[in-house]
Amino acid sequence: MPFVPNGLLGSTSTLTKSDDSVSGSQTELFVPNGLLGTSTSNLLGANVNSEEAVEEVRDRFIANGLLSGSINTERDAPNAFVPNGLLSTPQENNSSSAPPTSQEDDYLPSVVEAFGVPVGLSTTSTASTSSGSSSRYSIHATTFDGKTIQLKRKVKAPRTARNNVLNMSSASKMGNLLDVPIHRLLDQLSVAKASELQERDRHSATAVTSREVVEDTLWVDRYRPQKFTELMGNERIARETMAWVKQWDWCVFGSKKGKKRPTSGDENYNEKDEYHRPREKILLISGPPGLGKTTLAHVIARQAGYEAMEINASDARSGSIVDDRIRPALESGSAVGSTKPVLLIIDEIDGATGAGDNSNTFVQKLVSLTQDQPRKKRQKGPQEKRPILRPIICICNDQNASSLAKLRPHALHIRFQRPADIHTVKRLRKVCELEGLEADSRALTTLVGVAKGDLRGCLNTLQFIKSRNQEVTESVVRNATVGMKEADTSLTAVLNDLFNPLPKKRLKELGLSEEEEGKYVARLSREIDASGRESSIALGCFGHYATLRQHDANFLRHEKANEWLVTFDILSASMYSNGDFALSPYLPYTLVPFYPLFQERGGERVERNQADWENLQVTRSNEEILKSLSRCLRSASSKLCGDFRHLLSTPVIQLEFVPLINRIISPPLRPVNSQVIRPEEKALLTRLVNIMASLELRFLQERAEDGQLSYRLDPPIDVFVTYDGKRAADIAVSRYAVRHLVAGEIDALLIARDADVVEKGKRGKHDFFGKTTASRKFEETAELANDLVGRASKRPRTDNIDIADRPPTDFFGRVISVPSAGSTKAAARKNVEKKFRVTYRFTEGNSAAVRRPVKVAAFL
Amino acid sequence: MSLWVDQFRPRTLDSLHYHHGLSARLKSLASSGDFPHILFYGPSGAGKKTRITCTLRELFGPGVEKLKIDQRIFLSPSKRKLEINIVQSNFHIEITPSDAGNYDRVVIQELLKEIAQTQQVDLNAKQRFKAVVINEADSLSRDAQAALRRTMEKYMSNMRIILCANSTSKLIAPIKSRCLLMRVAAPNPQEMEEVLNYVAKRAPFTLPPEAAKKIIDDSGGNLRKAILVLEALKMQSPDLSGPLAIAKPDWETYCYKVADLIVSEQSPARVMEVRAKFYELLSHCIPPTVILKTVAERVVEKVDESLKADIMHWAAFYEVRMRLGSKKIYHLEAWVVKVMSLYKHFFYDMDMSSFD
Repeated sequence: MPFVPNGLLGSTSTLTKSDDSVSGSQTELFVPNGLLGTSTSNLLGANVNSEEAVEEVRDRFIANGLLSGSINTERDAPNAFVPNGLLSTPQENNSSSAPPTSQEDDYLPSVVEAFGVPVGLSTTSTASTSSGSSSRYSIHATTFDGKTIQLKRKVKAPRTARNNVLNMSSASKMGNLLDVPIHRLLDQLSVAKASELQERDRHSATAVTSREVVEDTLWVDRYRPQKFTELMGNERIARETMAWVKQWDWCVFGSKKGKKRPTSGDENYNEKDEYHRPREKILLISGPPGLGKTTLAHVIARQAGYEAMEINASDARSGSIVDDRIRPALESGSAVGSTKPVLLIIDEIDGATGAGDNSNTFVQKLVSLTQDQPRKKRQKGPQEKRPILRPIICICNDQNASSLAKLRPHALHIRFQRPADIHTVKRLRKVCELEGLEADSRALTTLVGVAKGDLRGCLNTLQFIKSRNQEVTESVVRNATVGMKEADTSLTAVLNDLFNPLPKKRLKELGLSEEEEGKYVARLSREIDASGRESSIALGCFGHYATLRQHDANFLRHEKANEWLVTFDILSASMYSNGDFALSPYLPYTLVPFYPLFQERGGERVERNQADWENLQVTRSNEEILKSLSRCLRSASSKLCGDFRHLLSTPVIQLEFVPLINRIISPPLRPVNSQVIRPEEKALLTRLVNIMASLELRFLQERAEDGQLSYRLDPPIDVFVTYDGKRAADIAVSRYAVRHLVAGEIDALLIARDADVVEKGKRGKHDFFGKTTASRKFEETAELANDLVGRASKRPRTDNIDIADRPPTDFFGRVISVPSAGSTKAAARKNVEKKFRVTYRFTEGNSAAVRRPVKVAAFL
Repeated sequence: MSLWVDQFRPRTLDSLHYHHGLSARLKSLASSGDFPHILFYGPSGAGKKTRITCTLRELFGPGVEKLKIDQRIFLSPSKRKLEINIVQSNFHIEITPSDAGNYDRVVIQELLKEIAQTQQVDLNAKQRFKAVVINEADSLSRDAQAALRRTMEKYMSNMRIILCANSTSKLIAPIKSRCLLMRVAAPNPQEMEEVLNYVAKRAPFTLPPEAAKKIIDDSGGNLRKAILVLEALKMQSPDLSGPLAIAKPDWETYCYKVADLIVSEQSPARVMEVRAKFYELLSHCIPPTVILKTVAERVVEKVDESLKADIMHWAAFYEVRMRLGSKKIYHLEAWVVKVMSLYKHFFYDMDMSSFD
């Protein structure tokens, strides 16, 4: 029966393990090898009986032969005795492979179909063939204490009658030419042949044929730890997890459970939390697959008295799930129909949505769920949300997954590491003993090595081996783990494999010979393909190959490497741009050559190359700047009848316009009063201001972190003359005072221009608000600059930074901040005061108010 | 206030400073009443667009200078919005379809059909047709060019197309054969000096001849660049006295640095250095082909005669590859490594021969 042992079929949710071993093994032991004997009708009876659920258990117990004393009293005794083969002469009956199927058909219907033998048919046929042989009326049996008893055979009239009816009906259907229609006979023959072959197989494989066990549970499930003490692996991790869960006790169970005060070393204790929750309300367990993270979480939840609620990749994990399922469960505190408090386990969280800035992702919502509560509580908002008072455990493989970026700061991390191989081997050996599998420790060590400590993988492999043969030897392990090699496909792992040969230890683990090691193409290309991130790997190769300190006198290897990279790029470009994804299988092969070219034993570990990513970020932001500049140009050109439009085309703007406009707008102006400025400088200033105003370039005042004021060009097109962090040498660094002056002038010009536009219809009426402000502004800024220069000359030069580079400071060295927008108004106000000695407060308000000239007398 | 480039841009064919033969031909074409489709081509900064505006003015009168600038939104086949800036007057329209990237075909089809199907409504207009100026025609995709072909013939009565391109090599032959080709060559140094002096006179200031010479030498026949440099010079040192530093675009200086790095040492460490510099250039939005060209030209200047041809060959080779590929830095570096390898081989050979 090849289908049974691998346990893939059928479910035994109703059977517990111990039950299983009794019922499963004992009832089925007798069946396949055809030890039954005397009459198949008895066998049939047993089978039919066992189909009746009520009597099933009793049947089995009897079949055991343990209840021999009271056999006589049992109604079905003969039926029960036949199976254990103590009675009667065994009759070789190869066709008896049908009954087991019929017996199992209540939970393995698919198998019956697979065998292609209708149940009814097989019973009838065996009945008809063996009805003659069962002529004895009693059976002699010997009990364990040596007593001989006689068992009376029951008359099975009704059953045979039924069988006959069945037989009749089938026969009549087939037109009486044959007892059984020819195609069924052929089927039977083939089944018989198959079972014969199987039998032979079984005999040759092992002596203990009867240990053929129907395995319908995975060993992984069968030997899953149920208690905290059964957990395997790093004990510290288990303890830490437990400790964290225990920190919730005060909050969840209301008592401190013997802990009078939180110990001082318990830094996760949060004094301020009114519910005495730990500070980190989420636990993040990370580690490679198969080490028992999920099991740990479940075991600890049970051990600590919680009801685990698990959300894993099989559930939808969008942001809405947090609101729909998680929040209600956590708020109500316990699962439906359970008295225990709930503990939420979110498995495989690295596959959940969470990357990006979208606030609706699963991870974001989860974080806000735990973090926002106290604030919400204080707000007493309309829909006041209840605080989350239950622990959450998140499990992931890759704790650096981008989707977890938001979660990491709020969670307590526990990293699972591969336990020492010896522990894993020990546990495996125990399992093997329990399963009756002979395993030498060498084979087990090999298995653990190949699986890289993955206990689940090991157990599955062992179960697989078990289904075929009884011994675990190294060669068997090697054969069974062919596909398991190199399942680890993280980016850095792949890169490291590309640049470093396999370590000797790993070679041994994989059992590769020197020669096999030389065959790297298949191994590496499979690895690259499995990672699915060819372009990142290409980038990694590109980042790493030139840093290697290998001697390459004439750049031959570098040339080759670049050739491959270029090929890779062209392939992938045409793949993505033309949608020609048939090319994708070839991509990994273009990266494999880095191994023969650059592999180096004991080379540096390959780290992730960030240069390209950073460059991309910078490029993006610079493109934005360029875009905003071209917007400026466009609006300038629409104002000036298309004057700047010829500078707008793409290569021209960044190659010619940007570098030169930067020079045009930074003339060597001196920070002096614009009144005393020399006429040629004045002309320069006016031109500068005009150009900047028409291009909508501004100097914006900004306060740095240390309180220093500075002017920044906006849009910041000066980045295009800044290479390697240094400005071009021939562009004078524009000083604070100069920029201040220019900024003031630009503002003034714009105000004047706006005023011109506004006042065009009714010129001469309100000059006061228009041009005069601008001229006042000049005076004011000039005054300031003047002031500055005066002070600069008085002060001895203590440091080599020109005073003009700094923002103006008052006597005490505090920075005078003059908001440039307000200054014009201030100047205007001051003037008014002087002339008229009138005190009134001019409040700048909504300009929608009606302005009309008012005589000063009105204020007096 | 505009920059000098725009301020002193000639407005009429008569006021153009050079290529008088070309101007005369354009003038007679404009007055003949049988104006063809024209393809202007020539190097950047030679005055193609100036000539186009002058021709338009000759055709339609001063009305073409009343420009409107607005944005049109087109929908790509995948329903993405494409914003295209359009400069238009009553008589003509200027578009840059390459702004739409791969979807320029949509722009060409929709816009041209729309224009072509409406007749000139102004009865006083000098011409019965409208003009469509297509800038950067050499970056039109194949599809867009194909879309243009038929339109050019079908709507001849309503519309003339003026294409403006740097080179004709990327235009498909059917387009070229439908247009009158006008090559606008870069001005020679004398012509440029004339223009610079004209600008100086109008500005007004006196331009020392040595400064003019320096600017012209640096500009490489690009008049737009020359005038921008002149303005930068004037702004930076208003009196134009003393030693004059002619402003060079920063990326150019930086490219020269890269070239020097390549020539001075050939090692993997140097490759990394050069790579960092390339990244810096790329992040400043300098097109990779321009980087490759500039660096290659500089390298060629510095190396031995026998290497020059090879270096240029490989530069061309990797430029093609770069256009095919998507990750530009790979190709730039591949070229650098190739050059270094060539250079090393060259020196090894030298050494060998000296031993003999």
